[in-house]
This record gives sequence, structure tokens and C-alpha cells, in this order.
Amino acid sequence: MKVLLVGNAGREHAIAEAFERSLRDVSLSCLGELINPGIQGICGKTGGQYLRGKINDPLVVADHAEKLGVDFVFVGPEEPNFHGVPDELERRGIACVGAKRAVAEIEMSKASMRDLQWENRLPGRLWYKKFKSFEEAVPYIKEYAESIALKPARQAGGKGVKVIEDFQVYLQDEKRDLKYSHAKTIVDEHMKPYQDMEYKLLIEERVWGPEYTLQCFTDGRCVKPMPAVQDNKHAFDGDLGPETGGMGSIAGGLNLRWGVKEEEASILTMEEYVKSTEIVEQMIKAVQRKTGERYHGVVAGQMMLTSVWGPTIIEMYSRFGDPEALNVLPLLKNDIVDICEAIIDERLNTVELDFNEKATVVKAASPEGYPDKRELARGHPVKVDEQGLTRDDIRLYWASVDVQDGMYVTGGSRVVEFLTVADDIPTASIKAERGFNHIHLTDGWKTFHRSDIGAPRCLGKRIELAKLAREIYMYKEKKGILGRRLTWIPGKGLMEAG
Amino acid sequence: MTGLIGVYVFDERWKISSFGKYGLLALQHRGQENAGLLTLGDRFYECKGKGWVEDVVTESKAKDLRGHLCLGQVSPYEQETEDTQPLVLKKPKELALVLDGRITGIEDYMWDKTLGYERNILNALEFHLQGEGEVVEGVKSFFAHCRGGYAFIVLTIDGAMVAGRDAMGVKPLSLGKIGFDGGIVASETCATDTIGERMPVSPAENIAPGEIRVFTPLSAYTTHLPVRSPRTAHCSFEYVYLARPDSYINDTAVYKVRKAIGRKLAEEGAADTDVVIGVPETAIPFALSYSAESGIPVERGFEQTGRRVRSAIKPTQLERLKGVQLKLNVISEAVKGKRIILIDDSVVRGNTLANIVYLMKEKGAKEVHVRIGSPAIVSHCPYGTEVPPEDELIGRHLNEEKIAEVVGADTFHYLTLEGLVESIDVPRNSLCLGCFTGEYPEEA
Repeated sequence: MKVLLVGNAGREHAIAEAFERSLRDVSLSCLGELINPGIQGICGKTGGQYLRGKINDPLVVADHAEKLGVDFVFVGPEEPNFHGVPDELERRGIACVGAKRAVAEIEMSKASMRDLQWENRLPGRLWYKKFKSFEEAVPYIKEYAESIALKPARQAGGKGVKVIEDFQVYLQDEKRDLKYSHAKTIVDEHMKPYQDMEYKLLIEERVWGPEYTLQCFTDGRCVKPMPAVQDNKHAFDGDLGPETGGMGSIAGGLNLRWGVKEEEASILTMEEYVKSTEIVEQMIKAVQRKTGERYHGVVAGQMMLTSVWGPTIIEMYSRFGDPEALNVLPLLKNDIVDICEAIIDERLNTVELDFNEKATVVKAASPEGYPDKRELARGHPVKVDEQGLTRDDIRLYWASVDVQDGMYVTGGSRVVEFLTVADDIPTASIKAERGFNHIHLTDGWKTFHRSDIGAPRCLGKRIELAKLAREIYMYKEKKGILGRRLTWIPGKGLMEAG
Repeated sequence: MTGLIGVYVFDERWKISSFGKYGLLALQHRGQENAGLLTLGDRFYECKGKGWVEDVVTESKAKDLRGHLCLGQVSPYEQETEDTQPLVLKKPKELALVLDGRITGIEDYMWDKTLGYERNILNALEFHLQGEGEVVEGVKSFFAHCRGGYAFIVLTIDGAMVAGRDAMGVKPLSLGKIGFDGGIVASETCATDTIGERMPVSPAENIAPGEIRVFTPLSAYTTHLPVRSPRTAHCSFEYVYLARPDSYINDTAVYKVRKAIGRKLAEEGAADTDVVIGVPETAIPFALSYSAESGIPVERGFEQTGRRVRSAIKPTQLERLKGVQLKLNVISEAVKGKRIILIDDSVVRGNTLANIVYLMKEKGAKEVHVRIGSPAIVSHCPYGTEVPPEDELIGRHLNEEKIAEVVGADTFHYLTLEGLVESIDVPRNSLCLGCFTGEYPEEA
């Protein structure tokens, strides 16, 4: 069986590894923009090829797939979906696991995603406003001083989102100034490379609570959830520093449990886990109804347990999360080829997903300069002691790296991701720390990582936060006002947002 | 004691001075004699002087403080403005520094007795910054040579912030979150509540003894002083009086300790009375839990005139009495004809307490039984909390019975040392109890 994998990040390395484990005699080829040594190794071992080329060009991808004569293509990242790679493959009669352009809209356009939620009155919808220009947003920002999230209206590689909590009126001038300035940055800078979108800026209500990613396989008929994963977006320990693509992630059981034992504390209850799956399923159904297209592939709800709704969608992914894929794929007991075939044939309902009951922690090493000064983070030669990692029972996933003159050099983003598996999250976290003894940049440039991911204190705080959010949303549920925002405006009366 | 704040945001678009100002306001109880705020934009901008935060960092002055990083302090010391923190070192590397507590000695440095404390610190620091090494390493090396009980925050001209505590952890320091991606380092967590991110689970965390937090434009990480202390020595007086009750000190809620002290006082010093009254502000939680524990109702005994002055840390006797008399107008209706448990946090010289008891009796209190939420203060503080000379300390020279007579109370009892340690609920040898015992965590 021949498979072509598109993409070259840590996520695709984990996907490649799942294909390597398949008992279906897979020959895996990969098309990437940079050379990922991990995937390259797997391609070599399975008799496939590692090709370098433009993964966002549907013709390039389809040509390679045709030339290789693959049984199907698996698309890793989101941009090929946005550029219609799965659509072109379908046109040529090549099977594909990957969301087509129309349905990938739920990730590509954050504004369309919210529109869809509100048109269908789906649960977990946040209040929002979309703008076509900065000028259009100015009067709004001026008039309403409140806590908001400013987002590029398009998925922009995870960049550009900023939450500005505006609660303390004595600091409101400073916060309003930053709202203006960031709204302008989003329109002028973050959205600049993307001319494929009418709306530029999204302003959403700010919510709080623990975040989690619920990744699912879907054939458009049913949705099969994987264990919930919690990513850590801030660059530095204690959730400090700018937002990154993800510095590491944790998972335990299905519902982010401390450890494998049923009775241990968890971030989500099983009810919330089930509810989250239903919300993702409703999104899939809604986008299919709207576009008339089938969704074949991976979908993920980037969610938060909020006091407003309980399970709430922050954003959607039309693919696996990175690094979240690393927490679930290595635990997957099913043969990934079986799953892919079931998706292609739209009989995913016949597949029971099965995962090893373990806790996993992923931690990424990034060169200093990431995420905001990537020119500083790029081009440093990197050395990894793979034997040392194996000795310490740590799995290595290459992420943003390239091979130049036979040397591995940093690509500017997270360079490697380490995965550890244990019976509970804190144990896996400690284990993962040892990984950082086995990587260094040989020119002396420094790397950094998050030591607090999965550490007892950090995990405990997240569980506590979930409890508080739960108490409030359950109170609302009991009162029959879940998701509603009632306010009394003197002189106007009782008002409801949304 | 001093209230320290440092704010580090990674997004250079923030204008930070108001955050610094309101952060200092939250720490105003740690010092009301002078204040200073410094920001880093294209250069250092500073504003400091004598008085309260709002008098020193006025709205128009705050506007002139440019930049996205800041450093500030409030302190109870009467000082000339040139000695007022933040202290600025120009060479060999430009940086600003705030310190709480006291550095009692510096290895390999000859203390110049002709210069003040501040000048000596800067001279010694200057020595460690010579050479090519990174500033952060130089700062670390300096504090590795310091003895004493202190907390510090340094801001360098190139935008690095280094904050930490001595290896014994005498003075408190916490780290909170601000503005989505930034950090607040402050003496107390109440500063994070005031200017930082408002999460239901406080994002503020304790900075451990000997721990150093470093922020640079490219990173934020934890490192440690290379020296180890055989024990921690958290200042116990922080829990009794210095810190705000909404703060966490060394991860312990100050309010929780104050309530425990009230319960202990009810156990140790029970008396048959009609009402319990706490001396505002500090002793209010003591009184609340004394009442809950004993079943004796609590009353509000005083109303204040003017600002919330912390009378006990005022530098002169006149100032302290002025503070007490304005702060403590007795509400007659609460005390008239009543037998009263009067609770205060501590007694230093006893004259302000005498004044309070007198005022209550004058308004018709039948009996006044004084209970103090800490043991007798008998010795000095080497770590910067201002305790008068030992011949002025009433608790060092008189027993409880005599003190009762001097202050005009019917009975007078301190909290026992054991009672205090149990209320803080940590092992005794992890605390500094020097002002109550005369025994200190390090050799003189």
C-alpha cells in the first residue's frame, strides 16, 4: 500500500510514525517544504520517498501523488486544505484524508465559524463582531471598554491573537490604546499575506477557563473523538511570554486526568468530554449542510471550559493540532490505515477507536527568538543525542528543522518535540525534562522550553480553574440561562447580548 | 520594609507607568514616607520623592514616564530623594535597583562607613558588573555575595529584569501575570490583584528563597543563587502586621494566619466580657475570629478621620500619635458600659496603646482587656523592619501585669510564641522570630 503524507512538522512526524506501525505493509512517501529527518527516516525504512516541494500548490501535490501511484494522500497541516489540495486530488480520482476547501472554512475563517455557530444556534458560541478594516473597528473599540480577544479573521498560523482583559477601569486608557494598536497590527501585518478573505479582524468576548483540544476523525457521517489534550500556548513558564504555536501538551485518559486511574482528578468530567464531542459533531453537520461538501479527515475543537457555556469553541482546526497530535497518535491501538480507509469509504461508524490508557506529556525545545523574532531563531546547527533520549525513554519528534549540507539546522520555530508516556501526567512531565540534556545548538545559541507543563502545581491549578468554571456554568444551567448574557442597562431595561 | 514592584511585558506597545503606579498603591501599606517609580523606554524615566504614591507619582508625572517596563517602591524610611529607591547605577552597566529588607554584609567588599547604605550597595554591585559578562550574571554574582534578608528587583537599560530573594527567604516576593503575556514581580500578591490578570485561580505564585526570576526580551526563566542556606527564615512579622490580609506570603494566606491568631487569642487569653473590638485595620481579622471562637459578639469600635495611615511605621512619636488619634475615634455607643476585649496586632513602646485604652475608658468602657496578636517585641530587626532601640521596648522590660497597669487595661496578654508559630502553621525553624526572641537566623 502506498501513502503520501503532506507536511513536515512534528505533527506529520507523529502521523508518519503511525503509518510506520501499520501492519498493512505501507510504503510511506512524504512531501515537505523542509526536510524533516524523522519523517525522512521513516520514508526510507518503508521504501517510500521524501520529496521537497510546495505543499500548498494543489497541482504539485496531485502530480506527485499521481507519479507515485499512491492509494491515498494524508494531509497534515491546514494550509494545503485552505488551498484546495484535497479538492484537486478528488478531481483526479485520488483518495484523500484531508478537509476540502469549503469545509476547511471552519478553521480558515474564524468569522465564518462564528457565523455558522450563530446561524445554527449551536451551543458553545461566543459573542463576536467582525470587521473588514481597522477603521470599521475603531468606533466599536472606542465605545465599549470590556475584556475582549482580538483575532485575525483568518487562521494565520496561530499568530496574532491577543486577549486584553479590561476590567480595571483605572487602567482602561492604556488598554484601549493597546486594543487600537493591536487591531491595526492584525489588519496591517498578520492579515497582510492573506488576501483571500473579506473580513480582516474579529473581536470576541473574552472568556476564562482551562483550554483543551478535542481531536476527532470524521467521515462526514460520524465523529470519533480521541483523548482530550491540553496545549500550552505561552512561550515561557507560568504562562508568560508571547503566544506560540504550542510549547507542549498533556493528556491523561480521555478527559485530561491526572493519571490513568478512574478516580483521579481531571480537568474535564466525562460529561463535558461527551458534550464537547457533540459540539464538534454539530459543527461538522452544520458546515456540510451549508456547503454541500463532505468532511473527510481530522477535525479538532480548540475548546475551553468556560463559565458562560461549559464546553465552548474557541477555534476549530481542520487537521490535527501540533503538538497535540503527539499526545494521541502514539497511543492509538487501531491501524491508522484502517481508519483512513473507513474515512474514505464513509464507514467510520464501523471503527471503534482504541487508545492505550496512559498519560502523555509533550515538550518542545525552541531556539531563543521564537516566536516573535524568528530571524534570530533560524539557522542554528542543532545536535541531538538520540541514544541518550532512547536511554531515558523519550521519543523524539523533529519539528522546525532543515538539513543543510548534511547538518541539521533550526528552521525558526520549535525545533524538536519530546514525548514521554507514564501512568500519570506529572511523572511523564519529569521524564520529559531529561530530554533537554540531549539537545543543544552547537553554535552556543540558547534554546528554551516550558518546565511547568504537566508539573503538579500547574496541573493542579488547571483542575481548580475547571472546577470554578464548572460551578458557574452549572449554576446557569440550573437557572436555564446557559450561554445567555443578561444585563440591566439603566434607562433601557433588561438587555441580552447576542 | 519596603514594597517592591517590577512589571515586565513582552509587548513593547504597552505604556506601563499607570500599572506601576496602581501597583505601588496596592503596596502603600508597606511604606508611606517615600515612593519612586522608574520606567524604561528609550532611556530610564523616573519620578520619586517624599510622600504617598499619589502625591509623588501624580497623574501628570505618570504620563511623562515612558516605556513598557517599570520598577518601583514605597518605603517607610525618612530619606533624602537621592537615596530614595529605585537606585540607579550608571557604570559600568546602566541599571536600576529596588530592595526590600537589608543586606547585612557583602563578601569581599569593605563597607565604607563614610557612605550610606545605598551608596555602599551600588559600589559593591558596580564591582560585580566589571568585565565582559552578561549583566544578568553580574547581578547574580553580586547577590551571591550578599548576606542578610532581602528581596530585590533589577531592571537593566537593555531591557532585562532580574528579581529574587535571599537564600533564607526573609522578605517576601511573588510573581503574577499581567496583560496577557507579562509578569509582575511584587512584594505581595495584592499588587497582582490590583493591576494584573484577574483569573479566579490566582496566577500569582511565590518566588522561593534563593530563587531568581529572569526576564529578557527573548526569554523568561528561573535560576537560583549559588549559595544555599541551611534553613529558611520567613519574617513572621509579615503575617502579624506588615502584609495586607488579601495577600499570600510564601504561599500562605495572610488572612488565614490572622484568623488563626484570633482563635489562638480566644483560647489562650479568654476573659468574661461583653464585646470584642479590634484596632483597625490590622487587628480586625483577629477580632472577627476571636468573636467566632469565643461566642462574644464583635463590635466596630472606631471611626477614622483622614487617610488610612499605618501609624505604627510612622517615624516619629508625634506622627504615630497623630495617626492613632485621627484613626481611632471611639464610637461611644459600642463601648459605653461594656466589658471589652480589645485586640491589637503588636505593642512596641506601649504609648499608642495607652492612648487607645484611655480613649475607650473616657467614652465609658467598663473594663478593657487587651489582647495582642503577637508575642512581646524584645529585640531589633536586622532586616529592615524599624524597631526602636531596645531600651524603648516595653515588652523587653515589663511583664504583662505591669504593662496592663501602664496602659490602663484591666488585663493584658500577648499571644504566646507557640501560639504564633501554630497560627502561621509552618515549622518554627523555618521562620525568623528574631524580634520576639532575640535569636536570629544568621550569625551577627
